[in-house]
Amino acid sequence: MNTNTLKKAVLGVVAVVALGACGSGTNAISVESAWARTSPMSSDAGAIYMTLTSPNDDALVSAAVDMSVAMMTQVHETTMNADGTMGMQEVDEVALPAGTAVALEPGGFHIMLMGLKQPLALGDTVKVVLTFKSGEEVTVEAEVRDEAP
Amino acid sequence: MRPKSRAQTVAMYKISRIVRVMQSHALRLCAQRQRTFASTFVVVLSLFASSCSREPQTLHGFVRDEPLNVAAVSLPDVTRESAPSSRFGMRAAPGELLFVYFGYTTCPDLCPTTLATWKSAIRQTSDAGALVDTVFVTVDPARDTPQILNDYVGSFVDRFHVLRTTNPSEMQSALDAFLAAATIETTAAGKVEVSHTTVAYLVDERGEVVIEWPFGTSADAMASDLKILLENTRQQTQKEEQ
Repeated sequence: MNTNTLKKAVLGVVAVVALGACGSGTNAISVESAWARTSPMSSDAGAIYMTLTSPNDDALVSAAVDMSVAMMTQVHETTMNADGTMGMQEVDEVALPAGTAVALEPGGFHIMLMGLKQPLALGDTVKVVLTFKSGEEVTVEAEVRDEAP
Repeated sequence: MRPKSRAQTVAMYKISRIVRVMQSHALRLCAQRQRTFASTFVVVLSLFASSCSREPQTLHGFVRDEPLNVAAVSLPDVTRESAPSSRFGMRAAPGELLFVYFGYTTCPDLCPTTLATWKSAIRQTSDAGALVDTVFVTVDPARDTPQILNDYVGSFVDRFHVLRTTNPSEMQSALDAFLAAATIETTAAGKVEVSHTTVAYLVDERGEVVIEWPFGTSADAMASDLKILLENTRQQTQKEEQ
């Protein structure tokens, strides 16, 4: 193998790697409008909302924030009971059908933070690591706001 | 298009006036036989004007034919500024309206969403801050101490009352009066699960529920309703004074 062939081979490998990176970029799960509500004084509970779109059928299976922010993080859903009251439950997953934007929003799915170490203050950001059924992991910065963006 | 603030209302009014002036110019153009251009101009302007004109004054929330009366409901008032062991009766001060919500402070989703929406609605409504009081009744008295309740509600609104009873039957009759419900269950794993109705109410000085806002009512809708209901209250007070 002469130097030229070697160069070509190296370029080829670089190109394939670059294309691969591009490919995974376009296939990545998109996260938009991630925000957390400012937490009221004395409350150690918080919620994070966002809109998720996956190019393939997938599901959000868990979310995590640093222990310095909250003791525990769970994916919850607020639902209405037969008697008209509303409550929330932890869910195993949030299904993400391919190409469909799924909103985690007030009154529906949300990422619940329990045991906040300090209140979520306006203008702060919270780093959340989302784990999907496919094994993909996405880290997002949720902006702390009074209202939905 | 609904005005979001007084400034916006004024701006929309000004735009609609400018549009009307321009329409009259366009009609004059019609008279000058520049018909095709002018009539297109009129049609476009009319569409613009109609999109700017104010909507009829309709309420967004739910109003019962037979309004609920909650004047008989009275609960222990644990507001910091209130006298110790005082009670609060569910009536607005004369000429005012009372916002009532049943919730709990470890609620991460529904309660703060509703209170933040209410806070935004008050901000959008001029004078509302002075003419509304907010009542938060805890459905979780075991965990919601008076201090937590005061801090929690105080982070949304300045003027409020926090009510807390540890007597289940007293709590139940308060819920019944509003046709509301709440249950607290502790799971085998020791996790406390709270379910509650998530309607927000406005009560007048007679203790009548004048509107019910289900969860998901926007701040714009609440502000619009509040403006109309405060105006009704003002007119009623004037009538009674005469």
